[in-house]
Amino acid sequence: MPETPSNGGYMIAAYVLTSVIYLGYVLVLWGRCRRVSREEN
Amino acid sequence: MNVDPNRAQVLIRRGWRITLVALLAVASVMVLALRFTPTEVRQGLAQKIFYIHAPSAWCAFLAVTLTGIASILYLWLGDRHFDRFAATSAEVGTVFCAVVLTSGPIWGKPIWGTWWTWDARLSLTLFLFFLLLGYQVLRSAIRVPTERARLAAVVGIMAMVLVPFIHLSVYLFRGLHPTPIVLKPSAPSLDPEMLRTLLFSFASFTLLYVGLVTLAYGIRLAQEAREQGNA
Repeated sequence: MPETPSNGGYMIAAYVLTSVIYLGYVLVLWGRCRRVSREEN
Repeated sequence: MNVDPNRAQVLIRRGWRITLVALLAVASVMVLALRFTPTEVRQGLAQKIFYIHAPSAWCAFLAVTLTGIASILYLWLGDRHFDRFAATSAEVGTVFCAVVLTSGPIWGKPIWGTWWTWDARLSLTLFLFFLLLGYQVLRSAIRVPTERARLAAVVGIMAMVLVPFIHLSVYLFRGLHPTPIVLKPSAPSLDPEMLRTLLFSFASFTLLYVGLVTLAYGIRLAQEAREQGNA
């Protein structure tokens, strides 16, 4: 039976980076949303 | 054609609701993958990158395909809604593509021993990402709306044409990237628990795509309504 490699750090890095990209884009959209509603008022 | 600002607000509110539910679902996917899905024996924990990498790739390809279809419809019918949708879907697709191109090398390093290789699948996905960036640059560089929509539509269609090549590249060329284990003619070759997590992940990321497109489309509509009001 092969020994399972210990490489959890890569998994954590990928999960964190993915979260940063998606949440970053959501923040960009939130900023655009605020700008549009401010200009409307 | 006049843009209804109330319609924009409805879409923005709906977009936020779907996006927030989708973000919660994606967070649940991560918890499910970490705590309640078995670890692959040969690859270890790094294999769990699969649950975010593959669904992000699916959404990127979905976004580009819908951009291409909307672009064709715009060129055919000349309806601004299709151009607006194509632009929105391409922008969201770029974000999904960025996730594919970052999570892939992080998975590749412990499994293949290298961050990057000029394998056909990887190279074509990088090319698609540059094409999507080019699409955004083109749109921001042209001020005349009809000319912008027409030229962007051509790039959108070119990006769509690339998608089947990327999917089939693992069969057409020899490389390090594995062949699909779910999106293939035969039954998925995956442990049932892993498959359940993966399917939930596909649903969650697809919902995220829908939420982000609805939200970004609503914002685009609101911006156009404001520009119309100023003119």
